[in-house]
Amino acid sequence: MHKRHSKFVLGVAALVTAGLALAGCSGGGGGTSEDGKSEVVFWQQQFEPYQQTWFKKYVDKFNSSQDKVHVTLQVVPGDAWAQKLKTAQAAGKQPDVATTNYGGIAAGVVNGAFAPLDDLLPAESFSDIKENVASFVTIDGKHYAYPMLVEPSTVLYYRTDLVEAAGLDPNSPPKTWDELLDWSAKLTQGDVKGMTIASVGGDLGWSSWGLQYNACGHLPISDDWSKAEATDPCFAKLAEFYKALYQGGYIPQQPKVGYADGAPYGGGEVAMMAGGSWVVGQLKNDFPDMVAKTMVAPFPSIDGDPTKTTATLGGWTLTVDSKSKVKEGAAAFIQYLLAGDPAVMADFFKTSGFSKYTVRTSVDEALASDPEASADPFMKIISEQVVAHGKSEPGYPWDISFAMGTAIESAMKNAASVEDSLKTADAAINDVIEKQKLAGTAPQQ
Amino acid sequence: MSVLEPMGEVGPPIEVGAVATSSRRERSGKPKKRVSKHLRDNRTAYLMIAPMVILLSVFVIWPLIYAIYLSGFEISFYKDPTFVGLQFYQYVLEDPRFWKSLGVGLYFAILVVPLGMVISLLIASFIKTLSRRVASYMKTTIYVPAVVSTVVASVLFVFIYQDQGVANWFLSFLNLGPIAWLNDPAIALPAIAVPAIWLGLGITTLIMLAGLLDIPESYYEAAELEGAGFFKRTWYITLPLLKNILLYLFVTGFVAALQMLDLPLVMTNGGPVGATTTPNLFIFNAFRDGTPYSTSFSLTAALLLFAVLGSISAIVFRLINSDKAVDG
Repeated sequence: MHKRHSKFVLGVAALVTAGLALAGCSGGGGGTSEDGKSEVVFWQQQFEPYQQTWFKKYVDKFNSSQDKVHVTLQVVPGDAWAQKLKTAQAAGKQPDVATTNYGGIAAGVVNGAFAPLDDLLPAESFSDIKENVASFVTIDGKHYAYPMLVEPSTVLYYRTDLVEAAGLDPNSPPKTWDELLDWSAKLTQGDVKGMTIASVGGDLGWSSWGLQYNACGHLPISDDWSKAEATDPCFAKLAEFYKALYQGGYIPQQPKVGYADGAPYGGGEVAMMAGGSWVVGQLKNDFPDMVAKTMVAPFPSIDGDPTKTTATLGGWTLTVDSKSKVKEGAAAFIQYLLAGDPAVMADFFKTSGFSKYTVRTSVDEALASDPEASADPFMKIISEQVVAHGKSEPGYPWDISFAMGTAIESAMKNAASVEDSLKTADAAINDVIEKQKLAGTAPQQ
Repeated sequence: MSVLEPMGEVGPPIEVGAVATSSRRERSGKPKKRVSKHLRDNRTAYLMIAPMVILLSVFVIWPLIYAIYLSGFEISFYKDPTFVGLQFYQYVLEDPRFWKSLGVGLYFAILVVPLGMVISLLIASFIKTLSRRVASYMKTTIYVPAVVSTVVASVLFVFIYQDQGVANWFLSFLNLGPIAWLNDPAIALPAIAVPAIWLGLGITTLIMLAGLLDIPESYYEAAELEGAGFFKRTWYITLPLLKNILLYLFVTGFVAALQMLDLPLVMTNGGPVGATTTPNLFIFNAFRDGTPYSTSFSLTAALLLFAVLGSISAIVFRLINSDKAVDG
């Protein structure tokens, strides 16, 4: 009797354990449901709250406007994005449509992760894209992503009231790096720091691209990606500039938030800020009192030349996964949201407070007639003086950007001399080139 | 892992002993002692550990074997994986940041574990002297940090370490300038060690207290009669008798400190210039990149870390546990 009893209990134990193990696996990804509807899973990376609201509104509109495709929106925070996406890819549960930045397109295409959109979207959608942006999403003549917006990565924001109180002229913002250091020193009073800029390796990695172009005219790698060039003396000047800002005490010694968050400026903790154009939207939505006291200018150039790049044009696109089973449904959604009626995207740019910039000529035309757009004090300056000279983000692996960002951080915080920090970055970049076999794989722009 | 080791020697199957006993007892005429059949059954023993073994196999052993197999490939989820043999092991072992993260992990463990154990011993000794009600109040209080999630504790300490936070406020009383606690490469790791020690105090103190209460009072009384002071008593009586507990706490504390991920992730994300990148955080950050190279790299780094941790644990056991552990 005991033998039977123990066998039974063993069986039950095994079943329960197996059941618990399998319960961890849940359904996901897209497919076709019983009534013939395509289920499309859309992962949207979390940005400002107004963006989530806008996406939800239009996803609901798309779902109710037709009954062939149903889109499920899932918002994923940015700091968990890469891990979540990778584990979903490993399990075969990756989303059908996902937000992808321009810099991630090249790597994704090499990996075979994105489906080409040329057969899925009508040709007019592609001819509508502005010329310089089209090159961001085209590889080997095929389009692998549909662009949504561009936003320059670095713009100088400053408080007109604090500037006047310090005896400076808000109508002639600093034009050279030395002038910026001078202004930062004069504006650092009491608890308010004169300036804030990225100071951790992860933020510096991408937010300094614009200034890397500004100092040297190129990134710390040769054009064909075969050799590192981080020890060029112009990069030493860049590191010295960041170091002067940090060691001089002009920027907060322990930043509370990352580079992308404009809250320190909005909250009055700093008088000037280097931030992306998206900060305009954040100020308008979260810190409306600051808007009247704020002016923007292109970030100072190393020698004062305003035609030199100071910002890279980052931005976001939507991509369709190459393993998706509902590619047509996914493309129909992208067509509706990004490539169709210009009024949809015009609404987006309005909601963002014109802190982001268009990528389609038809949307430009829709906004040109909008009085709010032409009255915005920031849009004209940013689009004419910053976007016009902006360059695209690099397509090489993040490890290279991070190596350069770490070098600048190391110099800033005196962990090593400027020369040694750049040498370490140079060695690290050459290492990445060798191990990831990058020589000769630079995308032709 | 230590909970899985047998607590004492595994005796021979009871059947043999029972037969011997019963024949001896029959000869001597005493009544046969009944040991229930289900307690003598080996099958019951296996049944008891079956759920644990099954769960371990499914979630630990099989993934480990599969991971070792996968580490020989460059993994891509969209293309066929290419066999590269031991190449990634070479890449990881050549990466200076891997070794630096191991150094950071060891430094962190050295900061956290000994100091934590000393503080816990002092607190446990103190609690031992208290009356019952006050002692139970103290035990609850000291355990509260252990219940607080590490992420919550990290955020709390980020606020404490802010430029205008509590830590710098205290320093201002001593007329010392504000320190960038989390942004100075030399200070960041000790700054993170503080919440780590604080979080570990609860469990360590309670286990130490249990060990202290096990020591017979007669030893201390005899020592006091001989005129031994507090330190002599601690050195000659308390510490030797607590040896097993100290060993257990040291090994588990060391291994846990080496694997700390939450604190540096939330507080500094790897810290100024990698000063707080512990090994697990290094692997985590390596995993974030989208390329197949980084997937294989982080997998191989994780396997190598497993090997390193295992060898460190083995060395620690060998060095400290040179004589067999015997009940006090």
